[in-house]
Amino acid sequence: MSEGGRPGPRRRLLVRGVCAAGLLAIASGLSGCGGRQSILAPRSQQTHVISVLWWWMLGAASVVFFGAVGLLALGYLRRRSSGLPVLGEREGVVNAIVIAFGIVIPLIVLVTLFGASDIYAIRFSAAPKSGSTRMTVQVIGRQWWWEVRYPATGAVTANELHIPAGTRVQLVATTADVIHSLWVPRLARKIDMIPGRENRILLETPDVGTYLGQCSEFCGLQHAHMRLTVIAEPPGAFNSWLAAATRPSPATGGAAAGEGRALFMARGCGGCHQLRGSEARGTIGPDLTHLGSRSTLAAVSIPNTPAELAAWIRDPQAIKPGNHMPDLGLSGGESQKVAAFLEALK
Amino acid sequence: MSASVSAPARRNVELLEEVWEERRGLLGWITTVDHKRIGLMYFFTSLAFFAAGGVEALLIRTQLIGPEHRLLTPEAFNEMFTMHGITMIFLVVIPMTTGAFGNYLIPLMIGARDMAFPRMNAVSYWIFLGSGVFLYIALATGQAPNAGWFDYVPLASKQFSPGLNIDFYGYGLIFNGIASTATAINIIVTIFKLRAPGMSLARMPLFCFAFLAAAFSLVFALPSLTLACMLLELDRQLGFHFYDVAFGGDPLLWQNLFWIFGHPEVYIIILPAFGIATSIIPTFVHRRMVLFPVVALAELLVAFLGFGVWAHHMFAVGLATLVTVYFAAASLVIVIPSAIQIFAWISTILTGTPDFKTPLLWIVGFIVFFIVGGLSGITVAAIPFDQQVNASYYIVAHFHFVIFGGAVFPILGGMYYWFPKVTGRMYHERIGQLSFWLSFIGTWVTFFPMHIVGIDGMPRRVYTYAASTGWTVLNLLESIGAYVLAAGLVLVIANLAVSLFRGERVGGDPWGGDTLEWATSSPPPPYNYAVVPTVSSPYPMWDERDRERDAVRLAAGQGVLARGHETPVSSVQDGRLEEVVAMPPHSMWPALVGLLLFAGFIMLLLSHFVIAAALGGAVAATLIAWHAYEPEHRPAAASARDLPSGIWGMSLLLCSEVMLFAGLIATYFYLDFRAAHWPPPGLPLPATLDPSILTGVLVATSVPMALAARHARRGALRRTTTLLALAAIVQAGYFAFQFHQLLDELHTVNPQGSSYASSYITLLATHHAHVLLGVLLDLGMLFWIGRSRLTGYRVSGVRTLALYWHVVNVLAVAVLLTELYPSL
Repeated sequence: MSEGGRPGPRRRLLVRGVCAAGLLAIASGLSGCGGRQSILAPRSQQTHVISVLWWWMLGAASVVFFGAVGLLALGYLRRRSSGLPVLGEREGVVNAIVIAFGIVIPLIVLVTLFGASDIYAIRFSAAPKSGSTRMTVQVIGRQWWWEVRYPATGAVTANELHIPAGTRVQLVATTADVIHSLWVPRLARKIDMIPGRENRILLETPDVGTYLGQCSEFCGLQHAHMRLTVIAEPPGAFNSWLAAATRPSPATGGAAAGEGRALFMARGCGGCHQLRGSEARGTIGPDLTHLGSRSTLAAVSIPNTPAELAAWIRDPQAIKPGNHMPDLGLSGGESQKVAAFLEALK
Repeated sequence: MSASVSAPARRNVELLEEVWEERRGLLGWITTVDHKRIGLMYFFTSLAFFAAGGVEALLIRTQLIGPEHRLLTPEAFNEMFTMHGITMIFLVVIPMTTGAFGNYLIPLMIGARDMAFPRMNAVSYWIFLGSGVFLYIALATGQAPNAGWFDYVPLASKQFSPGLNIDFYGYGLIFNGIASTATAINIIVTIFKLRAPGMSLARMPLFCFAFLAAAFSLVFALPSLTLACMLLELDRQLGFHFYDVAFGGDPLLWQNLFWIFGHPEVYIIILPAFGIATSIIPTFVHRRMVLFPVVALAELLVAFLGFGVWAHHMFAVGLATLVTVYFAAASLVIVIPSAIQIFAWISTILTGTPDFKTPLLWIVGFIVFFIVGGLSGITVAAIPFDQQVNASYYIVAHFHFVIFGGAVFPILGGMYYWFPKVTGRMYHERIGQLSFWLSFIGTWVTFFPMHIVGIDGMPRRVYTYAASTGWTVLNLLESIGAYVLAAGLVLVIANLAVSLFRGERVGGDPWGGDTLEWATSSPPPPYNYAVVPTVSSPYPMWDERDRERDAVRLAAGQGVLARGHETPVSSVQDGRLEEVVAMPPHSMWPALVGLLLFAGFIMLLLSHFVIAAALGGAVAATLIAWHAYEPEHRPAAASARDLPSGIWGMSLLLCSEVMLFAGLIATYFYLDFRAAHWPPPGLPLPATLDPSILTGVLVATSVPMALAARHARRGALRRTTTLLALAAIVQAGYFAFQFHQLLDELHTVNPQGSSYASSYITLLATHHAHVLLGVLLDLGMLFWIGRSRLTGYRVSGVRTLALYWHVVNVLAVAVLLTELYPSL
């Protein structure tokens, strides 16, 4: 630097840069938290422990970061004098500082972190011991939706995972095709679904509510539209939902629904989809036995309304390009009839 | 050169100019073996790929600028992020650091006149170029790799990705790996053997330590990627079952093999950046690096520890808790050598008198970003936290701070720093600083919000997101940041491009740098140094007496070495001068090898295996022909006890082959561990007697090979030839017999039937391929020593060949024990 003592343009630029970075960090921090899939809005013990861990790590990391940037800033301010402030030029002192900041302090911090996270906190997100839960659900990842099974009953559904609030649930995660990863950030750690393996996590929340999850391992074309909702209900409501979900597909009334049913069977929908208790027994696509009772379609891509469902049936590739449902060549009217039929399956 | 050059000195320089005169024009570039020209070709090629990778990044960011955008189709988006990753890692950072910076600077820094193996250096470049073109043919023809840069199976299997996309990935990376391995070996041997007299290891620049560590990591890590891709293509093209659960394979085998390479890879990327930082800091801070030896040790330690942490990429796959805890602990240990280096840099800046010119600004930016990336890296060693944010945008933020902030910033700083050395002109300082600030702010704005959006639940690799997720504002900010960053990068290139023509002319040492490259003119002459420099400290340019003595020696003709493309070779540890070696001049063969390999890989891709094998044979013939040229060796010291460069080169190549076999054997036992029955019911147990006897016969050929090497050193041509021929006949017989057996065995042990048979046959076939290669090398050697006398070059060749066979024989025993294991 050739300028005199006054802060040169370079220095002003530096100050501005640091301010901009700081403001940016704060602004984006404020806008980010509390989202519907935020790990910092925990609704279970394990995610609560992890969020506390995060805040402590963020605190420690901020101290290190601003300390180091402070030292660099000091280096800038003292750019014309060599040696350390106060301590002078002795090589031994400088070396000792590097050893202290580079070895001793990190060692203490890292051992603490290791104990707190990898020995203590890890217990909360560990797979539940067998027999320690009252209930088991099975989630099977498929390109690009989630099959949900309740092994004790015959209930099968898709993209909506109902659990009783306040109950420990063992979730068994497997896949029917490629690797997926089940991630419901507010309720549990993520777990990969890997061919040939059965992975387990604990799903438990005291709070009734609807929680969003999303596939978190890249699984092909529609990875982005592979989402699910976890619905935690009071145990009574859950039990009646499960009882209804276990029953076979209901009979439907109305002319449109009747025609829709006939179209459904005639156009081969049953080759991929199952309506329990009917001749439609396909296992490739989602079970539609009680489709009318779900709130969203296509793995939480669109709301479950007759209009959206009809649009989907008419041209499934428009909404989720590349998904495995073929275009069945149904006219607009036919699609609406099939949709009316399916919406009646409560 | 100083102005007052004496007449004898001028005569010596003229002599050198004549000896090292280069071919002109395009042919000159195609046939060059000069490390500086090759370095420049690497530079411009990787810069072109950097532009391509940058455009891909901008397309990704534009797609994600708002919710439910439809700029790119899902397929195009998947190809973009996959190509962005592959490009930036394999076609930009590795070739830019090892290929461009390493090639151009290492010989200059250690006072050598070229790399240890100049023609192999050229081959590396042509292969790298070929692999890049290969991968971009995929993009141009609309079938680019699309399963992410870590290409997890079974998504990447034939069943779920039937197109050529993944085959371009598999073969492209194997092809690219050959170039990186060759460059790494070249760097190691150059650093070991070609240092100027007096430059002991302790006096070597930290830049070289960093590149040495990265090169060693490459040699040991790349075989794992090569193996993973090889098994992938066997699965995809020939129906083997390494990764297929239905037949006893395991998708996690891919993940293990990939990350055994993939994590050291991170250090391969970052270590050269450390080297650049440790070159720039002392120059602009005007003091020596604090704790020089500790920093050197830390660089090597980072590379070493990088091999023990791979499974921290797999904390969500459901590994046993104990395994994850081990890998988390190992990952935390790496923090220590990194922290040492960070605080060594900071305290060097703090205690020196820093001049914040453009190169140092980039290094300060690097330190800041590397701290952020390091801290976020520590947080993901907390297993429960990683199990939340793994595969989310938090990870994307983390590794971009490490790789973009940590590796690319020093590369850009290095471009400014060495620009006057390479071009003889100075860049524009003001615009240089502006380009830094734009890039610095752009990097923050692009990557910092990704931490938050990841914590907010956004997974990586989604081509779009719903507005209801609340991720819109942050994504918009990230995209704006990306455009600012792009503007900064364009300004860097514009500054350098304009300065190339308009910049102020500078002398040899515009910065007062501490390392030897500043001792020669800018740009350096083809022979680098008119007189081989001598060194007596780690800061040779700050030892003015040494440099004054160089001028005296030039006038006296000491150390001018102008009888050919000569360079001194010294001992590995203390840099004692041992011999003077003539380097090969320009050659057509390297470009031809690159072209043949390119054609060979295209044929493999298209499943034309016979044509591919024929092209492989053509490569072997080319390699034999290329050894027609015999560079001269002349001993400079009476007692040259150190191993010659060729033996070092072969040893390193064999290290890489041993790693390949280790991976194969580990694969065999990994699959065994996963299987209920090994071999599966219905398959015979392997026979023990015949293979044991045959292997015994093969191993016995080590005796004539060792004797041949000994006689060669004594100059006994006839005995050497007889022994070599004897060994070659036995080895060829072994190969013929075993290959016949293998073809027979394919009927009973069908590799398309089970993972056991796949790994059994692949292990044997890989072994046989190495025997076949050895027999070809035998024949080539017999051909050349039959035609000429036993020169120093040929003696070194015979010793190298003997070493090859000793290692192949040891591996033969390991392979035998592995295949017989179910019968033992």
